[in-house]
Amino acid sequence: MKDSERIIHGVVASVGAAIGRALRSFDPLFVSFNLKLRPEQVRKEVDRFRGSVEKSREQLKRMQSQLKRKSGPESSFLIDAHLLVLQDRLFVDRIIDKIENEQINSEWAIQQVSEDLFQAYDRLNDDYLRERRGDLEDIVRRLLHNLHSNPLPSFKKLPYDAILVGKVVPPSTLFELRSQRVVGLATETGSPLSHTAIMARSLEIPAVVGAPELAEVSSGDLLIVDGDRALVIVSPSDATLDEYKNRRRDEKAPKKKGRSAASAPSVTEDRVRISLGANINFSEEVRPAITIGCESIGLYRTEFDFFREGKQPDEESLVADYSLVLKSAKGAPVTFRTIDVGIDQKSWDGVNMNLGVRGLRFCLENTDVFKKQLRSLYRASVFGPMRILLPFVSSVDDLDSAHEIIAEVRQELDLKRLGYDPGVPIGVMIETPAAAQTCDLMASRVDFFCLGTNDLIQYYLVVDRSDRSVVHLYNPFHPAILRCLHQVYTLLHPTGKPVTVCGEMAADPPSAAVLLGLGFTSLSVSLAAYPRIKRMIRSVSYAQLRDLAAQILKMQKPRDVEEKVRATVYRP
Amino acid sequence: MKEREVVIGHRLGLHARAAAKLVQLSTSFQSNIVLFRSDSNNPVEADARSILSVLLLSAAFGSKVSVRADGVDEDQALESICEYLAG
Repeated sequence: MKDSERIIHGVVASVGAAIGRALRSFDPLFVSFNLKLRPEQVRKEVDRFRGSVEKSREQLKRMQSQLKRKSGPESSFLIDAHLLVLQDRLFVDRIIDKIENEQINSEWAIQQVSEDLFQAYDRLNDDYLRERRGDLEDIVRRLLHNLHSNPLPSFKKLPYDAILVGKVVPPSTLFELRSQRVVGLATETGSPLSHTAIMARSLEIPAVVGAPELAEVSSGDLLIVDGDRALVIVSPSDATLDEYKNRRRDEKAPKKKGRSAASAPSVTEDRVRISLGANINFSEEVRPAITIGCESIGLYRTEFDFFREGKQPDEESLVADYSLVLKSAKGAPVTFRTIDVGIDQKSWDGVNMNLGVRGLRFCLENTDVFKKQLRSLYRASVFGPMRILLPFVSSVDDLDSAHEIIAEVRQELDLKRLGYDPGVPIGVMIETPAAAQTCDLMASRVDFFCLGTNDLIQYYLVVDRSDRSVVHLYNPFHPAILRCLHQVYTLLHPTGKPVTVCGEMAADPPSAAVLLGLGFTSLSVSLAAYPRIKRMIRSVSYAQLRDLAAQILKMQKPRDVEEKVRATVYRP
Repeated sequence: MKEREVVIGHRLGLHARAAAKLVQLSTSFQSNIVLFRSDSNNPVEADARSILSVLLLSAAFGSKVSVRADGVDEDQALESICEYLAG
């Protein structure tokens, strides 16, 4: 029987999506491979397992005699128990049976048999005995270690695409396996700032971390890791698999086939130019973005770099980080969003609906941090075109305070005779209902706007996307959202200030088409979504989408809107 | 085949140390030896030569265990194992 699809939420550590079989890291030190053997390999594999048992026995015997010399015969009974496990047919014979009958590798057989036994232990009503599972764990570790030092040559190449799953996966493991078919990473603990996460990003392996429910996933389970939506899908349905396979084709095509899809001109069928930038979380992603042909970095989220090692970097290293980003962008403009997070916030997922100190609110309360970041940005500005974007603005007063601080920073730089670009455009993120209602009042104080649809939709519809009981109510096709976006366009169009939409709405072809129809001709999306949005832009008629928008603005139900939009975007 | 019931006399029950001794003792006989909890509704059989299955019997001090021996030395085996379990 096929298990039904299940979604596990986590935190993004590295963007992109990957499909593969779970490869569980059984112990932080060792990865257990689930490998299907060829019939002629079975006998050798049994020998390999017996070799590991024999080696373990010798090690334990040595330990026992040392222990006896040191502390007498009394304590050596603990090792007796370990030795007896190594000759226990319930354990050893069952593992050999599994290797032979299922034609699997020793590691995987050990893990399956011991997991059954662990469960039997956990069911006991006896605290003392339940603790005995520790002895078994110890033996299992020893066996795995001894197998590890005698690896099967065929393990160097995995026979299928694998997603590393574990409580933690050390960066070295990820690195050692990089040339093999490890396509994704998903861990129960960890943060996007961990070294493993950084390693995943530099290897361009999609990764989701901090997802404790992964504990239920076993090696061999089919998984999708979606680093764009911060989730892992266990036992995906055929429909879901198809969706991701199509997406993956989109994403791989530009890398492999001369990046034709992504680098084609961003114009609609009726020759209207649409600006399409990339949203970036980490400096390692800038180069790949430019390589696939992105013309601009529409949103660079700075909080990850800012708290990279779990502590604040000093100004010099920030200047170095931002300079590197600008140099990697090779002349493409980069929009740096100043830090959007409370410094004591433990959750980094950014999807928690937060009605407290966020974004600019945090910066205005922690001016030292804000000034340090602004100084670093300005100092880096000599290395390439840059824009500074202020997040979570909810009033003109906020904006005035921010401008005062920016002016102070520039004065300081002048005094120190440090060079910077005085013309760096300053912009505001429209992501609170207050900003959406009053953006025209802010227009004279800023050079550009960005629309953050994720937060805007959450606040407008009062839906926390991390709350599974209401997440189905999150809907960009809701008439309230369409009216809000239409209003923002109507308020800002006469001001002539450029607006870029950088929320996830821009990354989904039908809802991105709605944005174009509403008049927004500048979008910025994750690298993963870039090719599919470029393709959508090139396949639609702007004039037709404008008509469509006029029609859907009169509709009553989100579902009707969505159907109408899909029928237009995916017309036969 | 011989069978006898015995009450566990070890203060800590059939725990690591006693279980290990039991397995070592059982291995010295040729007969097949199984244990099961006669005081339980769902008696699980444990192979007396398997430390894991003996531990999973979860036989505490005072619990009733039946010992069944089958083989050439079953009398001797039953005698010495019951004697050991009774403490």
